[in-house]
Amino acid sequence: MIPGLEKILLKVQKPGRYAGGELNSIVKDKSGVDVRFAFCFPDIYEVGMSHLGMKILYSLLNRMEGVWCERVFAPWTDMEALMRERGIPLYALESGDPVADFDIIGFTLQYELSYSNVLNMLDLAGVPLLARDRQGLSQLVVAGGPCACNPEPLADFVDLFFLGEGEEVDCELVELYREHKRRGSTRAEFLRAAAQIPGVYVPSLYEVTYREDGAIDAVTPREGAPAKVKKRLMLDMDRSYFPESFVVPYIEIVHDRAVAEVFRGCIRGCRFCQAGFLYRPLREKSVGVVNDQCRSLCETTGYDEISLSSLSTSDYSALNPLLDKLLTWTKEEKTGISLPSLRVDNFSTEVMDKISSVRRSGLTFAPEAGTQRLRDVINKNVTEDELMRTVTTAFSGGWSSVKLYFMIGLPTETLDDVAGIAALGQKVVDAFYANPDKKKGRGVSVTLSASGFVPKAFTPFQWEPQDTIETLREKQRHLVSSVTTRKISCNYHDADTSFMEAVFARGDRRLGPVLLKAHELGCRFDGWNDYFSLARWREAFAACGVSPEFYANRRRPFDEVLPWDHLDYGVTKEFLRRECERAYAAVTTPNCREACSACGAACFGGGICHENR
Amino acid sequence: MKTVRVWFRKTGAACYISHLDLTHCMARALHRSKIPLWYTQGFNPRAHMVFALPLPLGMAGERESVDIKIEEDKISMEEVAQRLSRALPPTLPVTAVTEPVMKPGKIAFASYELRLEPEGETADELAAAFAALLEQPEIPVEKHTKSGMAHFDLMPYLGELRWSAGEGGLLLSMVLPAGSEKNISPFLLTEAFEKQRGVSFLCRAVRNNLYDAERKIFE
Repeated sequence: MIPGLEKILLKVQKPGRYAGGELNSIVKDKSGVDVRFAFCFPDIYEVGMSHLGMKILYSLLNRMEGVWCERVFAPWTDMEALMRERGIPLYALESGDPVADFDIIGFTLQYELSYSNVLNMLDLAGVPLLARDRQGLSQLVVAGGPCACNPEPLADFVDLFFLGEGEEVDCELVELYREHKRRGSTRAEFLRAAAQIPGVYVPSLYEVTYREDGAIDAVTPREGAPAKVKKRLMLDMDRSYFPESFVVPYIEIVHDRAVAEVFRGCIRGCRFCQAGFLYRPLREKSVGVVNDQCRSLCETTGYDEISLSSLSTSDYSALNPLLDKLLTWTKEEKTGISLPSLRVDNFSTEVMDKISSVRRSGLTFAPEAGTQRLRDVINKNVTEDELMRTVTTAFSGGWSSVKLYFMIGLPTETLDDVAGIAALGQKVVDAFYANPDKKKGRGVSVTLSASGFVPKAFTPFQWEPQDTIETLREKQRHLVSSVTTRKISCNYHDADTSFMEAVFARGDRRLGPVLLKAHELGCRFDGWNDYFSLARWREAFAACGVSPEFYANRRRPFDEVLPWDHLDYGVTKEFLRRECERAYAAVTTPNCREACSACGAACFGGGICHENR
Repeated sequence: MKTVRVWFRKTGAACYISHLDLTHCMARALHRSKIPLWYTQGFNPRAHMVFALPLPLGMAGERESVDIKIEEDKISMEEVAQRLSRALPPTLPVTAVTEPVMKPGKIAFASYELRLEPEGETADELAAAFAALLEQPEIPVEKHTKSGMAHFDLMPYLGELRWSAGEGGLLLSMVLPAGSEKNISPFLLTEAFEKQRGVSFLCRAVRNNLYDAERKIFE
């Protein structure tokens, strides 16, 4: 343990976050290690430890001979204050060694508002924030995850980004690093070589020029870097690495359960959903593989709950056979199964009976928009009839509380669409009372949760302006005033937060100085309402002479060079534009199982694009 | 179905786990160990677990115990000890599995040892400050209870306090009321010391044993 650490652990909330030593955590003999990898999650322990991607890559990197991957999380503000006061640098949980001593410092980028934590963690580690200030080969700062699809706001700070899924490319990069470390290469030599690995984007090897109106003029590669960097992905999910065990935290974390991934990608193509386009094409695991992975995880961790994870688990083609297979042993072992993402249109009593046979969790559905017209605009492909059928089924099965997720600020939305959210909630309430099979003596509770729409890169809405904060607030008020019963409760996300998400989701390199300034002003934990301050961010933007509205609220012409145009995620700009135009016409697009819409993801040569329909 | 008492120690990094988290940790270890357990009957079946007395966060425990219900025809007490040992992290070693003698509700006292290592002051200064604290007519402390904040004097409870000053700091040993009726944490004394005397120190605390009202050892 780091000197002085013990003395502060008892002075902070939840010291278990900082002590390490958990079951299944991996400690290696340093004498046999030549590449040390600090896997950093830019949020607190409870959030980071819930993340499946980190678990996969942690186990995978530690399987490599001579490589030791350790976990690092952002200390909560009470811990950070004490660490700074006592000169304790950011350390890795397994060894307690300072992050500054590591070869590779990797961040996973799950959320735009965690960028301030990335900077704060580097600062707390004593690592120079700007990539150009870091000398030598070690302290190589790398990053991956969904937000790496538009990495430009972090281009000043990160040496290289991984695009797409990390299972192969992370290992290739580590091997290359090892070779260059042995050779004594310079950082520049290494980065030039790294840029040749497919899926690795080295931002310093690209020059960005701007036009007078503020849009990007061109992005030009240098020193042999590819003009377009294409994402990596695992084509055969059955053979893709999956850990046999997870690190089991002592303290309770957000998702405290075993997680099995049933597929990657999504057939749906909801037009607002970035993940739905980034992870194309759909690639399923087979029932036997998922079952074995669940079994092994439960045995090594002791968890008594399994979550079947994916972007839309009820779309898994073998869901019923999988549940039957799992139930052959989970019932006996008192293990519960939860499905985190159910769709309104294929929710069945059969599935419901199976997941509730051991344990029952709440029901959540996401119609996303209040009217059919707007659901067609976003290609949600869920009808009101389907929703009513589903909730009636659920009410008959004994459920009496339902949570419905919506977005406000969607393209083409009017106040009538917003009022439609409340009307839909009312219909669900009515469906409960119209149902003869409902449980006696219990009322119904419907929660309507509305988040502000954030246009994202690589979606058909990537050119759209976000509603201004004022408009979003007006719509929130309209929603609340449209609800006329106490059986419905409403909650919505803070519009200030949605605004800043929109800025960074489609930002470019000119946001680098803003991030640096915001860090100096003390911005961190911006995903947490207690710490997010729009006023402080506005101060940073003003100090740098950058307009956040330029990024959030501006409609981009279809022919504008977008900051992520030199990155290739398979889906083509032409397809996204087609989808955007269909959205304006409120025309839906069939899902990938029904028909191919030629999005471009077939270029990877696998997945649903090449299966028989 | 038979109730057995699992004895374990809470040491090292495990001291930083709260009681609630310890219950989760133990439940998962029981699940991993595949010990045939008796489960509560209901919508959410849970393994039956009764901890003798929660340990405050940051304190080590030498004689901690949890009662579990096993299906005795399927497993022996020795095997419970072996399997659970393998499933728990090294910071929570199982020392024995016995048949419970006393009910946890009978617990009335606990014995503690504390080591206060000075931060800033010398060991002598810390000892002088501690002696001065004990010369006060009373040591007012406050504690959260179900019915709000309780204010009381700690002095009457310190009859069995023994202390000495050594090279590294102060060594304190004491027996205090413990259990569901009345529970006085030794941290009340160290907090009062820190607050009243303005000294700072690192406190390593361990709970050694539990007793009933007649001072019979909890078994």
